[in-house]
Amino acid sequence: MVDPSLKTNWPRRGAWADILVERPADAARPVGVRIIAREGLGVAGLSAPRGGEAALATFVAARYGVDLPAPARAVRGAAQTFVWAGPGQWLFVADRRQGFAEELKQLLPLAAVSDQSDARAALRLTGPNVRDMLAKGCMIDLHARAFPPGAAAMTSIAHIGVCLWRVDELAHASEAVFDILVARSFAGSFWSWAEASAAEFGSSVAFSP
Amino acid sequence: MTNAAQPFRLPDIGLVDHGAPLAFRFDGRAFAGFAGDTLASALLANGVRLVGRSFKYHRPRGLLTAGSEEPNGLVELRSGARREPNTRATVAELYDGLEAASQNRWPSLDFDLLSIASLFAPAMAAGFYYKTFMWPAKFWEWLYEPAIRRAAGLGRAAGAEDPDTYEKAFAFCDVLVIGGGPAGLSAALAAGRAGARVVLCDEDFRLGGRLLSERREIDGRPAAQWLAQTLAELASLLDVRLMARTTVFGAYDHGVYGAVQRVADHVAPPPPHQPRQRAWRIVAKRTILAAGAIERPIAFGGNDTPGVMLASAARAYVNRYGVAPGRAAVVFTSGDDGWNTARDLGAAGVRIVAVVDSRPRVDPGLRALCESLGAALHSGAVVFAASGGKSLSRVSIRKADGSVKMLACDLLAVSNGWNPTIHLASHHGARPVWNAAIHAFIAGDLPDGMSVAGSAAGRFSLGEALADGARLGAVAAQDCGFAANAAEPALTTDPEGVGVAPVWRVAGSRGKVFVDFQHDVTDKDVELAAREGFRSVEHLKRYTTLGMATDQGKTSNLAGLAIMAEATGKTIAETGATVFRPPYTPVAIGALAGRHRGQDFRPARLAPTHRWSEELGAVFVETGLWRRAQYYPRAGEADWLTTVNREALAVRGGVGVCDVSTLGKIDIQGPDAVALLDRVYVNAWSNLPVGKARYGVMLREDGFVMDDGTTSRLSDSHFLMTTTTANAVKVMQHLEFCLEVLWPELDVQIASVSEQWAQMAIAGPRSRDLLRAVIDREHDVSDEAVPYLAARKISVGGGVEARLFRISFSGELAYELAVPSGYGDALARALMAAGRPYGVTPYGLEAMSVLRIEKGHLAGGELNGQTTARDLGLKRMMSQKKDFIGRVMAGRPALVGPDRPALAGFKPVDRAERLRAGAHFLGLGKPADMDNDEGHMTSVAYSPTLGHWIGLGLIKRGAERIGERVRAYDPVRGGDVEVEIRQPTFLDEEGARLRG
Repeated sequence: MVDPSLKTNWPRRGAWADILVERPADAARPVGVRIIAREGLGVAGLSAPRGGEAALATFVAARYGVDLPAPARAVRGAAQTFVWAGPGQWLFVADRRQGFAEELKQLLPLAAVSDQSDARAALRLTGPNVRDMLAKGCMIDLHARAFPPGAAAMTSIAHIGVCLWRVDELAHASEAVFDILVARSFAGSFWSWAEASAAEFGSSVAFSP
Repeated sequence: MTNAAQPFRLPDIGLVDHGAPLAFRFDGRAFAGFAGDTLASALLANGVRLVGRSFKYHRPRGLLTAGSEEPNGLVELRSGARREPNTRATVAELYDGLEAASQNRWPSLDFDLLSIASLFAPAMAAGFYYKTFMWPAKFWEWLYEPAIRRAAGLGRAAGAEDPDTYEKAFAFCDVLVIGGGPAGLSAALAAGRAGARVVLCDEDFRLGGRLLSERREIDGRPAAQWLAQTLAELASLLDVRLMARTTVFGAYDHGVYGAVQRVADHVAPPPPHQPRQRAWRIVAKRTILAAGAIERPIAFGGNDTPGVMLASAARAYVNRYGVAPGRAAVVFTSGDDGWNTARDLGAAGVRIVAVVDSRPRVDPGLRALCESLGAALHSGAVVFAASGGKSLSRVSIRKADGSVKMLACDLLAVSNGWNPTIHLASHHGARPVWNAAIHAFIAGDLPDGMSVAGSAAGRFSLGEALADGARLGAVAAQDCGFAANAAEPALTTDPEGVGVAPVWRVAGSRGKVFVDFQHDVTDKDVELAAREGFRSVEHLKRYTTLGMATDQGKTSNLAGLAIMAEATGKTIAETGATVFRPPYTPVAIGALAGRHRGQDFRPARLAPTHRWSEELGAVFVETGLWRRAQYYPRAGEADWLTTVNREALAVRGGVGVCDVSTLGKIDIQGPDAVALLDRVYVNAWSNLPVGKARYGVMLREDGFVMDDGTTSRLSDSHFLMTTTTANAVKVMQHLEFCLEVLWPELDVQIASVSEQWAQMAIAGPRSRDLLRAVIDREHDVSDEAVPYLAARKISVGGGVEARLFRISFSGELAYELAVPSGYGDALARALMAAGRPYGVTPYGLEAMSVLRIEKGHLAGGELNGQTTARDLGLKRMMSQKKDFIGRVMAGRPALVGPDRPALAGFKPVDRAERLRAGAHFLGLGKPADMDNDEGHMTSVAYSPTLGHWIGLGLIKRGAERIGERVRAYDPVRGGDVEVEIRQPTFLDEEGARLRG
């Protein structure tokens, strides 16, 4: 796989282009929800071949220092996250796309790898009202007891399929942090929901990295 | 006690804020009220007693209740686009600037011409419209129904788009408490203290339930102190959510409850970023129904006269709102509770003219109360008539000895015991059960996880409510795994009597006796139903419309049942009750829709080149969720057909580009990938070389065609399947089903990569030249290197990975070039820049359709779920050497019969005629009926290359009838065109262009 960040002078259009604009917190209003558009992630689906889960797990543990997550869980390594995505399937999310193609090459003999880096739009949501905002579309229980750090879900928000997991480490952090992936073509409609749902709490929008 | 502005306002009583006056208008007149009022209490404070006209007879009506069960006081709230009809004034929270109007009257509430309907009352008994308007039947639609709708009915809808927004939200809890009265608050406190996640909902804007309207003591202190302390503690518990203004309207399966929160109905307009209402779906492990009880009226003559009010409502207006609902009151009661009204009204300075207690013997304590109030006591007596027209002026009573007495009064407070509010317990279909001890229906089989506390369980005293709540709240928390705290000592309350001997209907009444106020059902209607054989409660309900109004008969059902029981010589228990259905109170459709309306009705999917197409002025069309570029009009083009003709000719004569990213793309990997393809496609795949694409057709299990598309072999064990846009999800699900259920032994991994790749079609004789200009130099795309149906991994733009497929939907030399979606926009722009010398033309879905119809290629019109591979001329693709899904069923006799419609092409005999998709084929000269139907036109296009309309269609024995003429008959659009049957391929049958 060619690393698309190399050589080309073609502009790469982010999934949130023309949809999200940076918007600092309004000093006059409290910020209930902080929204971070995550551009430049490496995202790939990993699907273990028949009988190959153990080998894949061993490789992941050796290379990234984490165990592949159990169902409905996500696990974080130094610069990458693995999210359970179905029996024998995981989502591999790298914080940066640089070098991602190389990582995928390493995984190739052990899993069917499908690069989805351009297929997903990613948001990180946090803030004191993040759960109140998510409750306006998310049909699963995100209370700390039901959705602790490391919990993950494939669900839908406002009729749009999402992959959602909790990032922060503290079980009862007052401001939980959620990562959300949606299919790229839905990004505009998802934002329409997210913006309206966060509006009453006050929100800020930033881009990362 | 009088006040110039609000003559019936009591100065020192109640929970309204006298320091916060609010201005409002009713029927255009300006009034004042206070914060904490409802529209109803504010109207009463201003002496407005006439608030509406009844549904059928246009009788003057006043407020019967002080709660959501109100049948009379329905108004249009707000104005203009925000007008909301049929709102109960008793639950409309007053705000500054509120506008309300009475409804169902003309020209005015005070002088309603339609009240002459009362004169025709004998002709308007139960079922009158079935009898009176039977004949002639055709009059119904244009005369009877419109006339009835104008005369009968409720408020008017706004008729303009609602300017406000609505939301949906989801909540989860261990314990859902429905009702914020003493039972509900106790339950929430017990469960919350144990650590459970609690949601408490109450329809009122203030929590406290009946405690707000009563003068009671808890633990020797005024109940208000207990209430304040309890609310404060509940608010301090992090996992307890108190939701006022929130009506739980429905109980659904698995502990799911529907609720509507009136977020901004009490302000106008809603503040920024606030919805008007929010519909909640609440998922609860345990539910405590503490919805209280609804007091019952008594059926007697003139019982709908404004000024006749439930005794508990009169108490609420006095104690909670500080409003005297009258100056001289008679209390008519069949139980102890009515006496509380006499006491509280008397204490507030309302003159109690008399207490009429239908029970022959009255407790000496009550007798003493009467004396202290200076009120006459008539025990064993009944009110048999109330009169006064638009405002009560007197009631007639029949005393125990049979003598008759007239009492002058402007308020008659009626008390007849209470019905537990068990609607939600009945939403799963369980019928209420008669409890003879309390003369009321209580909940039957309860929904899983539900328990009932306090008055809702028929345990009417305050002490029972508090005890039930505390006990059931603790039990619910325990059920959810929380250790209960040590039992708190039971709370003591001041003594109260709850005895009642209900009077369902006063015998020998004078005047109309209303059972169902909102639907104008009288005791006579119920008796008529009995006489005419509609005796089952279900028939009674539907024949008389008893309980079918928006209040669902909250104040009327039982009286109707009791009169039916009496008429049929049965007990109420034998007569039975109907079940309740959601919603408990009306819910605005807007709340149920949430934000999914207009552009947000459902999500839209945008292609990676959407922005580029927008800049070119594309017209978009919805195809499923996708917005696809339909055509790209240029200045000066007269209509869409001009544009589409230009685009199609540009492809045939030069080169065009089109976004085809919306096609489904499925990545298939694994040693058994070929085996999977062989089983899901009708044709063979094992002999497909690496680097080649092949067209495939897959069937459903029933033998009909499911989808088609190309699949390419990227490596020995790695394939990329494409599907039609419409079936992308369905095919993915189909493959998952095959792998997980049918053949779990296959070692194949599949993943949808539809969103990862932006794909552009580059079509036309100059497509190779254009392709060369955008790909990286090291790649050879000559005909030898990239022959027809080649599939290659290449790179573009100096290192962007890409996939190149030499496939053609247009029939021209054509390629599809895929890049990661982030580069789709750049690819489109690069193609346009590089293609300038070749006159590159972006084309949309319309031109694509023209091109494919000219070539006889299939699309949605033909792949319609009712066609077989054989019908579509693809029989030869169906492999005889292997099995595949749908093979056996496709061989059913009816699917291989010679008369099945088969694919053919059609052109008009008169080339100037236009063809229409959907037209049916008829033999020439045959009448247009189903017997002569030979099939239908599936797709049509104007072919700019041929200069006339062409069509594809399915017609009986199509392949054998080339050259024959038939009619294409389109009665819907008035089309009847003679067409000639021909091969489905109109252009380049040998495929020379394709391989060019």
